[in-house]
Amino acid sequence: MNTVAVAVRVKTWLSSTWHVKVPDQWLEACISWIQENVSSSLSQAEINKHVFEQWLLTDLRDLQHPVLPAGILESQKCELSGYYAIQIDYLVDVSLPAYSQLQKLKGRDNPNEQVTATTQATQRPWEAKPNRMLMIQFTDGTHQIQGMEYRPLPSLNANIPPGTKILLQGTIVCRLGVLLLKSENVKVLGGEVEALVEEYSQDKVLSRLIGVEENPVPQTANAQD
Amino acid sequence: FAARSLLRFCSQEPIAMAAFRGSLQKVLCVAEKNDAAKGIADIMSNSRMRRREGLSKFNKIYEYEYHLFGKDVTVAMTSVSGHLLGMDFQSHLKKWHSCNPVSLFDAEVEKYCPTDYTNIKRTLEKEVRQCQALIIWTDCDREGENIGFEIIHVCKAVKPGLQVFRARFSEITPRSIRTACENLVQPDQNVSDAVDVRMELDLRIGAAFTRFQTLRLQKIFPSVLANQLISYGSCQFPTLGFVVERFKAIQAFIPETFYKIKVTHEHEDGIVDFSWKRNRLFNHTACLVLYQICMEVRDASRRALYRSMFSSACWGDSETWGLGGCCGVGGVLWDVGGVAEALPFSLCGLPGCRRVKVLLGFAGPVATVVEVGSKPKSKWRPVALDTVEMEKLASRKLKIGAKETMKIAEKLYTQGYISYPRTETNIFPKDLNLTPLVEQQTQDPNWGNFAQQILERGGPTPRNGSKSDQAHPPIHPTKYASNLQGNEQRIYEFIVRHFLACCSQDAQGQETTVEIVIAAERFVAHGLMIIARNYLDVYPYDKWNTKIIPVYEIGSQFQPSTVEMVDGETSPPQLLTEADLIALMEKHGIGTDATHADHIETIKSRMYVGLTPEQRFLPGELGMGLVEGYDSMGFEMSKPDLRAELEADLKLISEGRKDKFSVLRQQVQKYKQVFIDAVEKANKLDEALSQYFGQAAEPVQQQEIYA
Ligand SMILES: [Mg+2]
Repeated sequence: MNTVAVAVRVKTWLSSTWHVKVPDQWLEACISWIQENVSSSLSQAEINKHVFEQWLLTDLRDLQHPVLPAGILESQKCELSGYYAIQIDYLVDVSLPAYSQLQKLKGRDNPNEQVTATTQATQRPWEAKPNRMLMIQFTDGTHQIQGMEYRPLPSLNANIPPGTKILLQGTIVCRLGVLLLKSENVKVLGGEVEALVEEYSQDKVLSRLIGVEENPVPQTANAQD
Repeated sequence: FAARSLLRFCSQEPIAMAAFRGSLQKVLCVAEKNDAAKGIADIMSNSRMRRREGLSKFNKIYEYEYHLFGKDVTVAMTSVSGHLLGMDFQSHLKKWHSCNPVSLFDAEVEKYCPTDYTNIKRTLEKEVRQCQALIIWTDCDREGENIGFEIIHVCKAVKPGLQVFRARFSEITPRSIRTACENLVQPDQNVSDAVDVRMELDLRIGAAFTRFQTLRLQKIFPSVLANQLISYGSCQFPTLGFVVERFKAIQAFIPETFYKIKVTHEHEDGIVDFSWKRNRLFNHTACLVLYQICMEVRDASRRALYRSMFSSACWGDSETWGLGGCCGVGGVLWDVGGVAEALPFSLCGLPGCRRVKVLLGFAGPVATVVEVGSKPKSKWRPVALDTVEMEKLASRKLKIGAKETMKIAEKLYTQGYISYPRTETNIFPKDLNLTPLVEQQTQDPNWGNFAQQILERGGPTPRNGSKSDQAHPPIHPTKYASNLQGNEQRIYEFIVRHFLACCSQDAQGQETTVEIVIAAERFVAHGLMIIARNYLDVYPYDKWNTKIIPVYEIGSQFQPSTVEMVDGETSPPQLLTEADLIALMEKHGIGTDATHADHIETIKSRMYVGLTPEQRFLPGELGMGLVEGYDSMGFEMSKPDLRAELEADLKLISEGRKDKFSVLRQQVQKYKQVFIDAVEKANKLDEALSQYFGQAAEPVQQQEIYA
């Protein structure tokens, strides 16, 4: 089969099924790679599937293929509508201090810190319980943009692997370069980017936020224990 | 009646008992302290006792007649001064350099009578010779039970055939003493065993570690520690550990800036604060975005109003009320943030915009009331008082430390003013009639009226907790006192007020909740109307304040007085107060309610911790170094688990559910192993301390230290 013709069909399928847009050069290289490494006698449907899986695992920066409208970052206020298949680099809950999240993550949160002498239980005065608000760092490969969990986004959580691909859809208000996301705007497509997993681990993201130098050298001092 | 209760206590030996009754003429009673002996004697004799001197001038002998075991007998009531016997190693091991401390885990220990107590012991020996029965009147707690067995031990050595009984009581009042006399029981060996185990372990563990670390560190840091006793105790160390842990948490803490939106609404009675339902965000942009949305004027009716005030030429066609083209300003400010304050500013002073002043009052966001709720809210009266609560409350509300509080409470108890102050119970027993106790207080000029009201409104209705030690009732006043001074008066007043508050009614109020929406962001305000203060009238230690907010109607709109984006910073936890420390000790089972205050005192007196001017605990260099040293060995000695396990075992012994010897064996083994490991890694201790005390002297082989 003619690689170019296959590529055109894959491209159409990716776009119509997933709203995924890829450059021709990458697509053709990807198809060749699949035919060499997986099998040379794959059906179109199988090739479609393999290409999509490869795309899910690719860092969109490698594609050099802008998807988001240019100028969206400069605008004070605008609206984004349509479909944009892009990548999450990392996300962080900004309703809680990074320090306490980090302590918890490292198993260093100490319930003793909550112990006070406040003695007999009385009805507590009202206090707002923080609702999670994720701030999400997206990239389409060329533009970085942030999204905020304006309304609860049950499909996302802090453990989502860096490089996960998502589809933004519907009408989304964008202010100060931040997309105001509601659950109907976000569909998780899956995937991850191996090279980003380490770089954007929750541990590192939170540590950076509070300016704590990480210690990349594994501790050997405790090895004897 | 007396005969029936006699059968119950001695049912195993009815024949011996009958013989005993025949020969019974004189009974020796021994209380834990002279004050208690005097109080009990006073009650039993209707103040007609004869006082005699014993060999110890602090422990008098009170004699009187009493009807016991169904006949009239002579009673000699005397006392000890706490523990009569101590526990120690045999004399050849008492010198610090006499042995390698590890041998202290297995060396023989013996009970002995310290020299200052031999006079008391001799009094008992002398008195018991004329008596056929002994009744133990020591405090009804673990230590008291053990002291009882010490007394029994001394007396039986002189008179092996002696009949022994235990009086159970929680207060020194006529009713309670009479009941105790009518219901004498056998002393509880299990409870006493638990104390023996505790003493032996404290002795072995304390002596071994104290000798080890004191001798070593004195040699290694001679310039700083040459004369310092560096004691170790399996309770003091975790107690110190809590202080160090909190200090380190504060040191490690990293503050972060947060942002929130704050809405206020002024009304004739004051200002209502609406708090953001998102509480706060740790991201400036996120908060600013939401703030901008709030600040945009979106209200349709207002838009119509603006339109009517301005020529259409003034309006751009932007959906968001941009001022593009208006009066030649170009809408720049509006674009920058959509912030409403920018609106009048951008128009101000321009020709043709003279209505700006009118507009000022309308600029800004509009709040819509979406929910109004009102529900009764009560503030609960305090739960019946136990020891730990008393210590914590006295520390927080009266600023009287736990040690001092317990000293005073004990004095009030032996004088008959309050019930036994060492209790884990916060449930009033059903058969304790509280009405007369409330009645006693009606004569007081300050809280008498309140006590009267309790009686008039249907009598006491105590609020109970959920804990019971099955031994003592909650702490409560047993007698009215008007002659007390200083802190004694303050503690007594606190106990009385707490008791009356507990026996009255919760405070009642009505809480109003108003929820508003500004551009889809929700804010909520709370108002409180106090309807009945009830217990608060007698309990000044609690505060509850009315907060008036106006009536808001669902669907109505108003213009907030301010809508601001404000920032703040997270703050670290605070250093521990004494009350916090007690709460932690209780949570982790370090010590008992009877010993918390002592352990805290010990770490203070050893200079392991100090107090800030705000009376919060700060670890000292020695304390920090010791904890860090042992922590770096990988032991959990400054952690509560090891001791908490021991404490749990002691409880099982006292309940007869675990054998004393197996607990001893296990615990000795466990601590001995830790000790051996600690000695092996002793240089870690030196390293940790050298952070504070400078370079260590020549490294020392541990064996050389005892040579
Ligand atoms: Mg006692």
